[in-house]
Parts: sequence; C-alpha cells; structure tokens
Amino acid sequence: MPAYPDGTGADVVQRFLRAARRDPGGVAVADGTTEVTYAELEDRVRRTAAALGPQGGTVGVLTSRSSDTVAALLGVLAAGGAYCPIDPAFPEQRRAALVEAAGCRAVITTGSRPAPYGVPVLHLEEAATGPYAGGPLPLADPEDPAYVLFTSGSTGQPKPVVTPRRAIAAAVASLGALLDIAPGDRVLQFASLNWDTCFEEILPALTRGATLVFDPDAYSGSFPRFLRMVDRQALGVLDLPTAFWHELVNHLTEGGEALPAGLRVVVIGGEAARPDRLDDWRALPGADRVRLVNTYGCTETTLVTHAVDLHGPYAPPRTDRAVPIGRPLPHVREQIGDDGGLLIGGPSLALGYRGLPEATAERFAVLPTGRWFHTGDRVHREADGVLLHQGRLDDEIKVRGIRVSPGEVEAQLCGHPDVAAAAATGAPLGDHTAVVAYVIPRPHADSTTLATELLGYLRRNSPSHLVPARVTVVPQLVHTASGKVDRRRTHQLYASSN
Amino acid sequence: MSTDGTVDGVVGIFRRVLESDRVQPDSDFFELGGDSLLATRVLSAIAREFGPELTLADIIDAPSPLALAKLIEGVAA
Repeated sequence: MPAYPDGTGADVVQRFLRAARRDPGGVAVADGTTEVTYAELEDRVRRTAAALGPQGGTVGVLTSRSSDTVAALLGVLAAGGAYCPIDPAFPEQRRAALVEAAGCRAVITTGSRPAPYGVPVLHLEEAATGPYAGGPLPLADPEDPAYVLFTSGSTGQPKPVVTPRRAIAAAVASLGALLDIAPGDRVLQFASLNWDTCFEEILPALTRGATLVFDPDAYSGSFPRFLRMVDRQALGVLDLPTAFWHELVNHLTEGGEALPAGLRVVVIGGEAARPDRLDDWRALPGADRVRLVNTYGCTETTLVTHAVDLHGPYAPPRTDRAVPIGRPLPHVREQIGDDGGLLIGGPSLALGYRGLPEATAERFAVLPTGRWFHTGDRVHREADGVLLHQGRLDDEIKVRGIRVSPGEVEAQLCGHPDVAAAAATGAPLGDHTAVVAYVIPRPHADSTTLATELLGYLRRNSPSHLVPARVTVVPQLVHTASGKVDRRRTHQLYASSN
Repeated sequence: MSTDGTVDGVVGIFRRVLESDRVQPDSDFFELGGDSLLATRVLSAIAREFGPELTLADIIDAPSPLALAKLIEGVAA
C-alpha cells in the first residue's frame, strides 16, 4: 500500500473508519431532530461507495446543506473518487459548465429529474441505501485526487483546483491537533458545502470522534437565534468567516452580551480581521476563556496553512501590531519571495488546475527546493515568526472569504450586449469588502436603466459572489500609462460622486 | 406602537446601517447596496428595538421598511 508522508496521518477515510470502530454508537452528525451515529454513517458511506463502484474519477455532488451530503462526500472518497460540489443555487448553465470543466464521470443529486449533464446521475438517497457490497474499500493512492473545487480565474473562467488525498490528510491532521478536537466535542457545520471551508469543519470532527452539528438557526442571519442555538446545541467549536465574526462582535458589543458558556474555540479566516473588532471581542464577558484562532490558507494549499491564537488561554501577550495571520502549521513549508510574496511548499499543495497547464506553471513553481505555490499575498514575518498580511500582488479581492478575480466579474458584465467595457474592484461596505463595478455603455444603450438591468442580468446568470453590490455607469475608465485599465483609480475617480 | 411609528423606526435603522439619507419607506434594502452581512445589522436592531427575531429570508421577502414594519407588527400582534 502506498505510504503517506510521515507525521501527516493516514487517509481521511481510514481515519473516519477508525473513529467509527472506536465508538460506533457515538453521534457523528446531528441534524435537526435526527442523530446519525458513527455506525449508521459508516453504513451510508459504504453503500454510497458501492453504488459508485471502484473505478475512481471525479463525482459531482449537487445537493443542499444537509447531513446526507456528508455521507455523499465520504462515500465518494471511500470509493477512491474525488468529490466535486456543484452549488444547486448556481444558474443551470454554470452548473453544466462546472461538471464539464471538472471532468465529472457521474453526478449525485437530490433532484427528482435527471439533469442534462451527459453523465450518469445517481440519486443521493438511493445510493446511500442501496446494496451493501461489504469487504475492504478500494485502496486509494495518496496522489489520487480527493476533491475538485473552483477558484476565480482572471480570464473570466473559474479554475478547477485538483487536491490530492495526501494534501487533505496532512491539513486535516494538523487542524485537528491545533484545535484539539476530541470525542464529545460538538462542532458547528456553518460553511456552505460548496466551498472548501466546510472540510475544515467536517473532516477534523469526523476523523476524531466528535459530533458535527447542522442547525438552520446558524444560517438564519439572526444573531439572537444564532447565539441561542450555540447554547442549545452545546457547541464547543465554531469556524466562522471573518466578515461574519465582525458582525457577531458588533451584535454582542451593542447588546452588552456575554459569550455562550460552552464555547471553547472560535476559528476565523477568509479576510483580514479588524483590530477594532478584536479589541471589542477582548472586552466581551467570557472572552478570556475562549480561544480565538485566526487562520490563513488558499484552496491551492488546502484549507489552512497558517494559524495563531489572537485571544484566550493560549494567546501570547497582546501587542499593538496589526492582526497577524499566523505561523505555518506543522505540515507547511513557507518562504517569502523578493517581491514580498508568500510561497507555500509541502504535502498540502494541490496537483494544479485541471486542463490549464499554463496557469498551473504560472502559480506552482518547481524549484531545486521542491514545488512551491505563489499565493499572491504580500506578507511580513515578525521576529516571533507570525506573518502580517500586507495586501495582494495582483488585483484579486476577497468577498466574504471567497476569492474574486476582478477579471471574472468584468467578463460577466461584458457578456451583456449593452456593455462596452467594465472595471471591477473591492470597496469597503460596513466591516467587510464588497465588489463595485464601473461600466461604459455601448452607444445604443439606455444609460439611465443600465445599472439596474445589469444587476438583474448578473443575478440571473452568475453566482452571487460575482454580483457587485453596486454598478455605476460612467463615461470612461482610468487607464495606466501602459494602456491597461486602472481599477483602483477608476474607483477613486467615481466613488466620491456616489 | 403604531405602524407609522414602526415604519419610521425601520427607516431609521436602514439609514444607520446603509449610512444613507436616501432611504424611504418603500426603498429596497438590497437595491440601496445592502447585502446579507449588513442585513444582519438590520435584524439585530429590529430585535433590540421591536422584539421580533426576523431572519435573512424575511428581509429578502420584505426588503422595504414598509414591508418589514408589517411583518414586525404581525409577529408582535
């Protein structure tokens, strides 16, 4: 059997089966009034794997957020295949394009009608309750793909990132140890199952005997409901997008509320944490006993590569510096390039972008010291080893933790017949970043209605993270000396007139 | 509180959250540049000032102060 790199743990499926053997009656997933034990989940996983067959390959999973999707995820991995989430909220055309770009050989869905993807479609419930083949699961190679996820591409097409099993094994082992996840822990499943952050919640929990909790009050947008839910579900671990955490801190501070008593650790990540919100958090009753852990990572380097305790029992004495993004986890190698850009090496690197050898060669450098991924993030290393984030080397934006390439937004806008040119950039909205766009209309277009028309057009045709908060029709864009559109200066020119 | 008072209260919340004086009783929160994160601030303020714990789905279905006021009165009644 192929070996996993030392110290990075075995395959995540083997680790899940080990946890199930240790405590088959333990609750693996709590979803509303339903509790699924480790033995029951293992049964669904094995049946799903049997339905998929042993030939591997990428399987698209098109379902909403539910405990059944967890069985589908582990079932695909147990079959030796790669999981590829397809967001049901995406427009039909984009879904079909993603199925094709990822090279899916089958699609698992909860829909009643077979979707026109040109590949076999399995029904989630039928797959999970079908015949049970028994016997050992197919042995997967550590270099085999574990999942395929899309990240924003500057040319307007999303790039499929292919992540091998050794990468997810290494990252999950480090994260589980960092957060000290153990049997009895209750971990909230908060992230959409269509982004990689969800693996940060699902896999450390289910490989270490903890309980993964789904609750609709977590996603209601109501903080009073959210906080009561944390108490009611006796949650110990929360993993929240930093933008959402900012709003949680606002809510708690304004109401003079204390942190829920059972909370042990709150993980944040996805964008820069604001120093003023961190100060507010430190002043909350109960904050001193809760670990607040900031994390950093890219899809191409798998979940989280850097982390640091910002507050709580393990945090170093506070300093006045900017909020750090952390130091490398045990499986991570880092170096800082001459341009200040952060490079990541080690077992958690993705295989590359599927079908895009040039884009892969551009971001994954092969050096005498090994393979390194150019994150595009500028960083500064402090004397104690933590990194401070100092912006991007390119124009990429982070919106609610999701990477958005302005070029992809502009390409979507230019797909409309009334748009001659477009520029998109990030601008502050409340405590987070939103996409704003400026467009030049074609001569025949009605400039007075175009902005509203474009927002409607994008909502119908694009995923929500690519829809700007504001579109402004302008007579011209600002260009650099070399003739390229200067997105920042275009924004600065028009922002004050809004 | 009368419905008029509730509408005025929600208009005030929108103005604070969106930092905009352009908010009218029939303004659409999302058309004025609000998003799901800013919506949580509106929901927190409504819970504090009026009691009902509305959700994101509520503000998507009833995105104006007028429509939200009706919802608040309905829940509180």
